Amino acid sequence: MIQAKGLEKKYGQGELQVVALKSLNIEIKDREFVAVVGPSGAGKSTLLYQLSLLDRPTAGEVIVNGHNTSELNEAEKTQIRLRDFGYVFQDYALLPELSTIDNVALPMLMQGMGLGSARRQALQSLARVGLEGKKNNRPSQLSGGQQQRVSIARAIAHNPRILFADEPTANLDSQNARHVIETFAELHRSGQTIIMVTHEQEYAEQTSRIIAMKDGAVVSDSYTPSSN
Amino acid sequence: MSASEKIKEYKNALRVGWFLAYRQIRHAGKGTTSLIIFIMVLTFLNLVVVSGLLVGLIAGSFQQFREGYSGEVIITPAPGRSYVENSAPLISYLENHPGVSTVSPRHSTSAQILGTLSDLPEKNERPNRIGARLVGIDPGREEALTRFSRFVAYGENLRPDQEGYILIGANLLKKYSSFADANIPGLDLLKDVDVGSRVRLTITLTDGAVVRKDFTVKGVLKSKIDEVSARIFITDKELKRMLPINQEQFQEIAVRSDYARAPALVSELKEFMGSHAALIQTTDQAIPSFLRDIETTMGILGNALSSIALVVASITIFIVIFINAVTKRKFIGIMKGIGISPQAIQFSYVLQALFYGLSGSFLGLILTFGVLKPYFNAHPINFPFSDGILVATPDGAAVRVIILVVVTLFAGYIPAKLIVRRNTLDAILGR
Repeated sequence: MIQAKGLEKKYGQGELQVVALKSLNIEIKDREFVAVVGPSGAGKSTLLYQLSLLDRPTAGEVIVNGHNTSELNEAEKTQIRLRDFGYVFQDYALLPELSTIDNVALPMLMQGMGLGSARRQALQSLARVGLEGKKNNRPSQLSGGQQQRVSIARAIAHNPRILFADEPTANLDSQNARHVIETFAELHRSGQTIIMVTHEQEYAEQTSRIIAMKDGAVVSDSYTPSSN
Repeated sequence: MSASEKIKEYKNALRVGWFLAYRQIRHAGKGTTSLIIFIMVLTFLNLVVVSGLLVGLIAGSFQQFREGYSGEVIITPAPGRSYVENSAPLISYLENHPGVSTVSPRHSTSAQILGTLSDLPEKNERPNRIGARLVGIDPGREEALTRFSRFVAYGENLRPDQEGYILIGANLLKKYSSFADANIPGLDLLKDVDVGSRVRLTITLTDGAVVRKDFTVKGVLKSKIDEVSARIFITDKELKRMLPINQEQFQEIAVRSDYARAPALVSELKEFMGSHAALIQTTDQAIPSFLRDIETTMGILGNALSSIALVVASITIFIVIFINAVTKRKFIGIMKGIGISPQAIQFSYVLQALFYGLSGSFLGLILTFGVLKPYFNAHPINFPFSDGILVATPDGAAVRVIILVVVTLFAGYIPAKLIVRRNTLDAILGR
């Protein structure tokens, strides 16, 4: 479970200060598939960065499984990100010099797993997204949709507690975007907690819960019919 | 975190760093990689070859001195003495010593040599006569020790059974001397003397008696060793007949042995000689200290010049790693974002720098010891006073490898640290 209590994020100072998040209180339970929606500048991605410990809030707390992360140093946060979180970035974010299987295996190597074990587990993860046949290809040899699915495979390979996805369909055509959302839905059905930022209402409605934001605040927080 | 946990964390970071570095090097452009390694090779060669050649200018003359005159051990009269005492037993000891391969005893004395047999010069003209050191050699032993015949540039070498023949060093003859055009005051050279000329040798003995004999010039000796090119040579049999000297009274005994063993041999000889007086030295001890000082100065100069190359190489590596890391700033941020430790990322760049340094050093070693050193040994640089060689030892090269690698590691570590410590989110978003 992940909680935000009185979460604030401000950029700049004085007259130029921008309030990106206004004292948010959110609780996301295990196994939820949450979409964070809203217009540009609503603070969606800023919220994601705070919850995923990529950024430090100006005020408030992020509590992960009962632990207050505001007291952790950068190395400890890195450990949490490595062990408990998975990320899917908007632009795939695969390392160009690594093959597909090595990109997926990298976080597990960092966790201390041997290369052989990491690759076996990476292959299983690639199989879940239907790309085990592309294990030796480099990212430049894959389509955008395939790269995003590899990114998903990397994010879930180490069985994270929470999967964060920042606009995962933004750079994809509609067919590939649907494939990605279907993959997320399948992961959710198998018990994965997912927090996804998206512009697309159509995709948001395929999640179990929608948090709508505007001007740094939550304007609505409701469960979707598909959550039943 | 406990110490063992920290060590485990570092080992893991090193493992992941190696994983990334290996793939980054494989993925890098072959042209760029080759160029960087080429720069490292040049830097290594600069470190070794520049100082090696500067030192080799002098070391070449030392080597020629050893190979062409003194051997590894040279025995001369003690100060105040005119011959090596106890010469015969000493020579017998040397000839039976397992560490000695060749011995060449030599008689020598001062002499005058007249270039024209008539001693009546024209008015205001100096006689065609010079003073020089006369050396009596056993041609066979001298050949075994110094390959003496290679110095005979014109004419032929002496034969043990011949009499009446003389070899003259080129620097004593106006026709062949390197100093002929110099017009140095006080420097006399024999005019109109060449192979086949008749010359008169005059030796003044200690009791004032004068010995004269005419010789035919059989050959002219050319060498950068003064002890060859500025002396005159006849067979020792003939010299002993001219002089009322004790057969055992040698003025020089040159010994060929193993260079590394020479100091120990000197100690053994001193012990053998006991109270008998002689100056027993290794070649290194016999070389004048001012030449040693020149050698040291050349080495310092070479190291100073090489340091400049080292600075250039370290800046090159710094720039390469810095540009690499800056252009991959976003990916570095993403790696940190997904939990890859900053240490692992830094290690990947340091290991890349290490790869360049080690590759350059390895290729540099092959070039130095496999190509350059044999080449300069076979084709030394022709300096007026010596044949310049390349002085490069495994120990010296190893030190330079370590220096280059350490400098490279720092040059790779600093830019990696600068880039990796930037804010993770800023790097991901390209801010």
